[in-house]
Amino acid sequence: MSELIELEEKPLEPDHGMREEIRSISDSVRARRVARSRIMVALCGVALFIAAVPLVALLYQLFDKGLSQIHWKFFTTLPMTPTLVSPNATGGISNAIVGTIALTIYASILAIPVGVLVGVYLAETDSKLATSLRVVSQTMAGAPSILMGLFAFSFLVHDLNIGFTAIAGSFALAVLMLPVIIISTEIAVRNVPNSLREAGLALGAKPHKVSLKVVLPSSITGIVTGCILAISRAVGETAPVLLVIGGGFTNSWQPFDPVSAMPLAIFENAKSEWPSQRAQVWGIALVLVIFVFILSLTARIWASRKQQVRN
Amino acid sequence: MEQEIEIMTEIKSETTQVVTPAVRGPVAMQLTNVAVAFHGRVAVRDCTFDVAKNRVTSLIGPSGSGKTTLLRALNRLHDLTPGAKVTGSISLEGTDIYRGNLTVTELRTRVGMVFQRPNPFPTMSIYDNVVSGLRFNGIKKKSLLDESAEASLRSAALWDSVSSRLKVAASNLSGGEQQRLCIARALALDPEVLLMDEPTSALDPIATLHIEELMKTLKERVTVVIVTHNMQQAARISDDCAFLLMGEDRAGELIEFDTTEKIFNNPDDSRTLDYTLGRFG
Amino acid sequence: MSQIPNTGLLEYEEMVADNKPATISRTWYHWLLLTAAILFAAVSVGFVGTIFWSSFPTWAHHGITLLTGKGWVSPSGPFGGLAMITGTVETSVIALIIAVIIGLGTSISIVFFIPRRFRTVVATLVELLAAIPSVVYGLWGLLVIAPWMEATVNPWLNSWPFAKDIFGNPGQEFGTSILLASIVLGIMILPTFVAISREVISVVPQDLMEASLSLGATRWQMIREVVLPTAKIGLFGATFLALARATGETVAVALVAGSVADAQIHLAYPGTSIAAWIATEFGESQGSEISALMALGVLLMLLNVCLALISRALVNRQRKILAVV
Repeated sequence: MSELIELEEKPLEPDHGMREEIRSISDSVRARRVARSRIMVALCGVALFIAAVPLVALLYQLFDKGLSQIHWKFFTTLPMTPTLVSPNATGGISNAIVGTIALTIYASILAIPVGVLVGVYLAETDSKLATSLRVVSQTMAGAPSILMGLFAFSFLVHDLNIGFTAIAGSFALAVLMLPVIIISTEIAVRNVPNSLREAGLALGAKPHKVSLKVVLPSSITGIVTGCILAISRAVGETAPVLLVIGGGFTNSWQPFDPVSAMPLAIFENAKSEWPSQRAQVWGIALVLVIFVFILSLTARIWASRKQQVRN
Repeated sequence: MEQEIEIMTEIKSETTQVVTPAVRGPVAMQLTNVAVAFHGRVAVRDCTFDVAKNRVTSLIGPSGSGKTTLLRALNRLHDLTPGAKVTGSISLEGTDIYRGNLTVTELRTRVGMVFQRPNPFPTMSIYDNVVSGLRFNGIKKKSLLDESAEASLRSAALWDSVSSRLKVAASNLSGGEQQRLCIARALALDPEVLLMDEPTSALDPIATLHIEELMKTLKERVTVVIVTHNMQQAARISDDCAFLLMGEDRAGELIEFDTTEKIFNNPDDSRTLDYTLGRFG
Repeated sequence: MSQIPNTGLLEYEEMVADNKPATISRTWYHWLLLTAAILFAAVSVGFVGTIFWSSFPTWAHHGITLLTGKGWVSPSGPFGGLAMITGTVETSVIALIIAVIIGLGTSISIVFFIPRRFRTVVATLVELLAAIPSVVYGLWGLLVIAPWMEATVNPWLNSWPFAKDIFGNPGQEFGTSILLASIVLGIMILPTFVAISREVISVVPQDLMEASLSLGATRWQMIREVVLPTAKIGLFGATFLALARATGETVAVALVAGSVADAQIHLAYPGTSIAAWIATEFGESQGSEISALMALGVLLMLLNVCLALISRALVNRQRKILAVV
């Protein structure tokens, strides 16, 4: 480019010869273009509507069919198998509820400490290990959950011979939860403004103390959000536990006993030949969905609290 | 150049007495009591002046005075903003652009816009960028597209440097070149008016001067309305000047409108004088 | 990579690229973090390793019949996975088509046509849709949609001229079929696609859109000629991610596809997918069949990893394009 201020080329003398042609063509096409735009915009709206319909329909069915199943006994009695004599004797789902809670607690104990630490590691370290682990956890976050079940089976049930137990199921769920916790912890820690970190360092604190006392407390909301989301995911997953928990029929909290879980109960009884069991399944589904919704909404509210604090 | 016939007419606006000289020759756009409000909160008001044809009219004033808001009303960009309301009348060649017999899309082919940061469409080549406006409006004839592309690139003083690489991606150009590409893109539709929103504020000084040079020849082809926060630029390139200032109610208002010469040498309003002397920014 | 609140994929990559400096010194804290990291590394290696290891006997004894064989004979073989592979491909592709067409229109609507005050509500609804456990979708598909399809859709589909070639005869037992599985799957991956495509579309710079409108474009022209091409690569990323999710879905497909190891293309017949087959067969398998199921797991893992990596690469490319803008 020339250093001179003058333009290198002299622009043309103005010639509006093309203007008429441009205007007449565009005028003739305009109505059609505008109509086409309106139609396409409407179609997009239709798509949104179509996307909303299944959700609404599903929720309606859930409440319609499930609500009638919910009563006190539902939560407190063990399941029974209907017989020809008493075809409506389905009992309750206390084993599934106890199982789900137990599995979730054990899985959280396994996954949350490790997950948070790894997340902090990824946020604060710049090494090859960190980069690879980041890719690994992103890939695992999207991995089919049944693979976690296969892993748990292969490792615990088979190699370590632990058998079909709650611990095996918790392990599978923990592996499922880990990537979610890791990623959200990393995001939460990275979101802490650098100025906070630098202020701590400027006051003479050692880097690890800054991390512990300044950075972590500021990121706690994000970390908690991630954990809640991970839990909400674990609660609803069938495939990881399907293979390894054994479908226990007791209200046992023991980690080395077989155990049931709500998603499993749904999966097993959905194809039952007893209409009463199929009806009961809607009740389980409703409880499960409500549970998951509460967890998701809590996470969302928690996350937006974090946004407000940030602002 | 048209003979300058000055007819002094006093037009009282709502709150202040603004002497608005009428027409210096034919008028491209006429603004009468134009105000823009967002969700009821007025952003700019009392704008009454004429944009004369084939002249550069600049909107100047400190930040917050509503210059850009006013500019955007001229091609109805506020239609996109929910809660925005434009009152008063703005007319293009006699037709009210909001209430007249003029669709928005047609208006925008007659009143083009260049933005603060160069924004060529990133997925398109130089050629595709320049003719994009034509294509949007349904023009497909290759000869017409080619002719318009060359004419507008020449008008933007870009032809010689890009004619051999028209199919290259637009993002390969430098900032100043990209902005001239955007000017060419707007000119391809052969609009009557070209709105420019601080077109050089994101460019380096040399590119800035190139574009200022360009404007001297551009006005032979289009009427230019330019918003600039750079007073010296306004003094250098514009023929007429509208000075806006934020009032106590935090709404911008038109303080004075006149030829650039008058505004900078001998303004009627003391606030105008203060601004041009740099007493406040 | 779904369900991370308030931080989409693009933003996450952005954050990582900014790379804050390491602040850890060599203290107990450092060793603690490193231990956790190594533990996680061990878990992930073990994850891949044990499944591969367990699948070895199948590859050794049966070679590639897992990939090409048509029948699955319990309990000792031969184990042919063609039906599962075909089923996975069929259900995922159809689900993807459904999800992308409806999802694209949905994200466009959300970004451009929904007024600002409703956006959080809509975003929350989409998230809730994504949070519903897959087993519940499966249940709904099985007990509600399947009978409805039997009664309403299948007769209508059968009236098409080439229906028999594509669809075959409507399936038996609860109306389960590949088609039903595809539809349910499509509904399930829709939120994933919408979440990412919405993010990718909404970060297209405002002034590009204003520029196109200032040239006289209609809203649709702005979307089609400017916004979508600019976001194109990210949209492909969203597609691959949705596809990855579809291939991995287990219980929904297991419930509504019919669990029949039969490789054919007729959509109205029951079938299965890789993940669904593992889920249904595992309970009663022993020894070599378990190894064969593990081998199917390996296939699934490879497929999923490829799709996830492609998706990541695409999203990163999109980020770089937007950075230039």
